Amino acid sequence: MQAETEPMPPAAVAQPAERGGFLAGRRQAELARQIVILAVLIIGALSMIVPFEWMLATSLSRSANSSMPRIPQLWPSDASFFNYKIALTNLPVLTYYWNSFIVTASATLGLLLFSSLAGYAFAKGRFPGKSVLFVILLTTLMIPFEMRMVPMYLEMRDLHLNDNLLALILPFIAGGFGTFLMRQYMTSIPDELLDAARMDGANELVIFSQIVLPLCGPVLAALTVLSVLWRWNDVLWPLLVIDNNKLYTVTLGLAVEGRSQGTLTGVVLANTTLAILPIVLIYILLQRFIVRGIMLSGLKG
Amino acid sequence: MLRELRRSLVWYLFIAPTFIIYGLFVAYPTLQTFRLSVFQEVATKQQFVGAVQYIRLLTTDVFYASLVNTIGLGLAFLVIVVPLSLVLATLLNQLRVAPNLFKTIYFLPQITSTVAIALIFSYVFNPSWGLVNGGLHLIGVSDVPLWLAEPRLVLGSSRTMATIMAVWTALGYEMLIFLAGLQAVPAELNDAAVVDGAGPLQTWWYITIPSLRPTIVFIVLTGTIDAMSRFSDLWTLGGPSGSPARSLQTIVMYMYQTAFEGNDFNLASAMAVVMFLIVLILTLVNFRLFLRRDFASAE
Repeated sequence: MQAETEPMPPAAVAQPAERGGFLAGRRQAELARQIVILAVLIIGALSMIVPFEWMLATSLSRSANSSMPRIPQLWPSDASFFNYKIALTNLPVLTYYWNSFIVTASATLGLLLFSSLAGYAFAKGRFPGKSVLFVILLTTLMIPFEMRMVPMYLEMRDLHLNDNLLALILPFIAGGFGTFLMRQYMTSIPDELLDAARMDGANELVIFSQIVLPLCGPVLAALTVLSVLWRWNDVLWPLLVIDNNKLYTVTLGLAVEGRSQGTLTGVVLANTTLAILPIVLIYILLQRFIVRGIMLSGLKG
Repeated sequence: MLRELRRSLVWYLFIAPTFIIYGLFVAYPTLQTFRLSVFQEVATKQQFVGAVQYIRLLTTDVFYASLVNTIGLGLAFLVIVVPLSLVLATLLNQLRVAPNLFKTIYFLPQITSTVAIALIFSYVFNPSWGLVNGGLHLIGVSDVPLWLAEPRLVLGSSRTMATIMAVWTALGYEMLIFLAGLQAVPAELNDAAVVDGAGPLQTWWYITIPSLRPTIVFIVLTGTIDAMSRFSDLWTLGGPSGSPARSLQTIVMYMYQTAFEGNDFNLASAMAVVMFLIVLILTLVNFRLFLRRDFASAE
């Protein structure tokens, strides 16, 4: 808590300091400040939540499909699971989930493994061409995906990998950003630790797996969070590469179906709820973890 | 030299997978993009034509429109989200009641897929019964904005809605990044300011904001790059042509249309190169402001 000179409290909440003396006035001013801060933040927080709540409410309303009330209701008068029954029978939601899961999990595992290997090499290794290679790798960060998406699509087509989940996994199992993040973190591991292990005769792979990797918990967690978010929510690339709608990911399936269902508001929102529910649940369970990971990556960035 | 290479073999093995993926999916496609952009397809064969595709781009109104749109939407987004998230982060930093709860709530939109958000917002901003207009009806406003149905550049238009949506989605993330930056400001700086008699506003302006400079640069830079590559949320709302009337079309959407609806991979590649150049210039500008100071001290 920073020591600061208290600003003059706004006139509306100004309290004379005679009751309880000087200290009581300061405490009241501080309380007033906290209340104002809380009020502002609550308004913002509500604006975050209300759209989701309304989505949930509307998805539970059967009549939403034919007509919506002029004044929005925050809970439907005819709550039922009707829309969900339709959504689950019309769309292979579970298949979509499975696809998303495979893609996200494989890509993330690969990314963690290969980024830490490369990050370790760039952080602690000594080999000719190290700095040049690192700079080359960093250029990935400057080349937006859209810049290479057309040839990547053609490439996948030539490799006969389009309409294959591998096309959604392979490009993302290694890359500049992951390596960069791991390297930045690993440079802070003391060299003495590694040299001691080398003198005991351990080879680099052993050092990597037994010493370095266990120390990388926070950054591995941060990278996991980012990778999962990116792969799960990616729409453009799956859209380009996957034609077979049995291989759609959850987000792509949602987009395609959502755009074609147009007027069935209730059903579309039920689809949407189903699509985001698992991620939201996981998020609520792991939020402390996830939020910390994001803030860590921001600092390193 | 050979012995050094042999000893370094293990390191090369460590970086090999990353570089294989890099070569296959970053280096090769990027070079291909450049190559495709100077070719033209004539009877299913590629023919070198130099700058023809670029000249075509320069004479395509739709391309300019999408470029201006992309930049405009990006600017509007940054201008709103940066100050707003900074203020919120500052407030959150001083909150003593349940700050983690607020962090969780504000970050919630970020983990939701942009497609889901676009669908939800298309209903929230529905001109007849959406949350926003419904709320306006509730307080007696009869002339409600048309939002998505309004392609013109006015306050209640599709672009405004797209910007509100972008700000809503990113606010929590930007706020967290600022929060991390704020918490990294050394307490001694603030204490010294107090000793020198600075009030809270002066402290904020002369100490906090300059300390946040790298964070602001990071946010502006990533925000710019994200703005240039904006696709999925606007595509969900209005299809690849960014209806209504291309008011929501970004350059990536037009690139997608050109490549996959018009089957003109060469023109699309030229577009990608132009986009890349713009991003490159913006990145370099940002790097000059940021990296030069920091790398000098760190490395």
